[in-house]
Amino acid sequence: METTTASPPAGYVPSGVGSSSDSLAGTRRWAVVLGLLAVATVLAGLYMVFFYAPTEATMGIVQRIFYVHVPSAWTAFMAFGVVALCSAGYLWLRDPRLDAIAVSAAELGVVFTTIVLLTGPLWGKIAWGAWWVWEPRLTLTLLLWFIYVGYFMVRGATENPERGKRFAAIVGVVGAVDMPLIHMSVQWWRSQHPQAVILRPEGAQADPAIVQTVLVWVLGFTLLFFSLLLFRYAMERLSQRAHALRVAH
Amino acid sequence: MSTPAAPAPAVAARGVEKWYGPLPAVRGIDFALAAGEFLTVFGPNGAGKTTLLRMLCGAVKPTRGTVLVGGGDVAENEGARRRIGLLSHQTFLYPGLSAEENLDFYARLYGLPRRRERVQEALVDAGLQDRRGDRVRTFSRGMQQRLALARTLLHRPSLVLLDEPYTGLDPHAAARLREVLERLKDGRTTVVLVTHNLSQGLEQADRVAVQVAGRWVSDEPRAAVDAAAFERVYTERVGAAA
Amino acid sequence: MSAVAAGPREPSLDVHASPADAAEAWDDAEAAGGAPFLAQVWAVARKDLLLEARSRERLLSMGTFAVLVAIVFSFAVDPAVRARSIAGAMIWVTVLFAGTLGLGRSFALEREAEALTGVLLAPVDRGALFLGKWLANMAIVLAVEALVFPVFALFFNLAFQGSLPALAAVVVLATVGFMALGTLFGAIAAHTRLGETLLPILLLPLLAPVVIFACAATQRLLVGRPVSDVVSQLKMLGAFDLVFLFVCTAVFGAVLEE
Repeated sequence: METTTASPPAGYVPSGVGSSSDSLAGTRRWAVVLGLLAVATVLAGLYMVFFYAPTEATMGIVQRIFYVHVPSAWTAFMAFGVVALCSAGYLWLRDPRLDAIAVSAAELGVVFTTIVLLTGPLWGKIAWGAWWVWEPRLTLTLLLWFIYVGYFMVRGATENPERGKRFAAIVGVVGAVDMPLIHMSVQWWRSQHPQAVILRPEGAQADPAIVQTVLVWVLGFTLLFFSLLLFRYAMERLSQRAHALRVAH
Repeated sequence: MSTPAAPAPAVAARGVEKWYGPLPAVRGIDFALAAGEFLTVFGPNGAGKTTLLRMLCGAVKPTRGTVLVGGGDVAENEGARRRIGLLSHQTFLYPGLSAEENLDFYARLYGLPRRRERVQEALVDAGLQDRRGDRVRTFSRGMQQRLALARTLLHRPSLVLLDEPYTGLDPHAAARLREVLERLKDGRTTVVLVTHNLSQGLEQADRVAVQVAGRWVSDEPRAAVDAAAFERVYTERVGAAA
Repeated sequence: MSAVAAGPREPSLDVHASPADAAEAWDDAEAAGGAPFLAQVWAVARKDLLLEARSRERLLSMGTFAVLVAIVFSFAVDPAVRARSIAGAMIWVTVLFAGTLGLGRSFALEREAEALTGVLLAPVDRGALFLGKWLANMAIVLAVEALVFPVFALFFNLAFQGSLPALAAVVVLATVGFMALGTLFGAIAAHTRLGETLLPILLLPLLAPVVIFACAATQRLLVGRPVSDVVSQLKMLGAFDLVFLFVCTAVFGAVLEE
């Protein structure tokens, strides 16, 4: 009862050698394009930070850290959004490409989250004299960091790697569902206590020049995120295929 | 599930494959058994026989292909699973519960009518009536196997799957198991037995298959198999295909 | 499944076979898959509670741990501090860690003799399996909480001034959410190499809302504030519970798949 040679499920091995390797080359091309755009935007942003945006009245030079802090926060949460969507998709469709996007976004996400958690206290110490304040957004970011850690720990801790990917996807989905609830609870929590420190990174008045500079940086970081995401995705897909080829022999 | 005009096979596997990521466990198996047939599958360790059994009962979802039991897809259809019993080398029993409590639990899960009576009958049949209140943890391997068999047959499955059931049994327990297997040949119950013990596996078989590296390398009626020659040929085939 | 092919032979496996049995065997085969959903939930919950009642291992270990934590708090908290003002915090920290302790055991029991595979073979709805385990975990943790509150009241000389039914509501609602996430991640942790050590890492960030609202509500009730002051927390806990009971039940099947 011999059957014809079976092949691994779709997504693990290229169905046609030409087509799929082209699609990865296409991916890399886009990654380079986005990367170049990102660098250009960030350079423009740097120029704006030092020559365009005014020095903020109350906080001084130090306030410029926030041009890195805020875009990083935006990117960190956007990354988690990508993780959550792709995780939900992976649980539903079991397509390894969705998992590849999710893990790439998670890796980038944890890096940007770390940047937020480092720049926040740095600024806080210099501006307010306190290394850490339980400001709602900072608190949410701290918890997000730990959810990312959980994502990676669960992913790597199983005997069967496919199961690990599924478990990680569950963490992604449950974490995403919890985000609004955590946000609401932390907001409520801080509202119960008088605010010793009020974090108004945008400054007392929202000077249009400052806002524009921030937006440029946000754009730059977003482009950078997607560029790196595509590079990392291509790497992950290659590693999946290498693994597939290795075990086939 | 309506009974079709022509009798559907009791169990059918169509192009069944199981991949763990890029790793194959079962590479494509096709067969159909009529009701009452007894199939024995031989094969070395790592051939994927356990995975095949697990797919036949719906515990594991095939990556490709379907398993139909009584016409129903076993991975989707809970009703189809209702007719299947699996005996593995793991007993699937809770060591901390008594024999009676274990059977009662499974009876509840399957929603069996006359639960108490059925459990008592099963205990008597397994010869465990006087130990029914004792925790399974205190049972010998042979007694646990008898209770596991009782659990397997409690809901009167029409498809019985046995994964190397003779493992670790002393001659007395093995003889008892042999009796039960004989009784399963009642014309209604379909049986798939997996083993690597050639003589034991051939005893009740109507059909004999050999599985190596996730595929079947032979599938013949028992009548076509000469026991003595089979052993020689089996060793050859397993060696060749490995 | 061809009824036709059976022929005249007795389709029974029992020694005490009878025509009545034979007829019933056919009825069984034609019956719909398995017991009704709630019956399955109850079967699973009952089994877990039976196991616990037998050995009492989770209750004892969680209870002992909780009392010891209370003792540690007694040593740790500076006498100058009014214990009353941090009682809510101490109690819920204790409950959180004691509760997490028992969750790993819930699934370890299924892995002995691979009992879980046997259960999965039966036409059991995965959601029913989750809810059954969740119910059993709830009962056990509620029992531990029933110990924790009096122990803290005793050690720190706390006189409870608020509404007891409201406190009960807080405890139950908080435990529902805690055990929903706990049962899901307990199942996940049981299938990893790290096992139970993974559980606090996964659970604690996600349980932040439960901690925040439960502690606040408990504290307020302790000092005698009116029930109206805790209604918003109760509502938030309820929302958390509804969301996660739904999500965890839906996702549980994906945890158990091979």
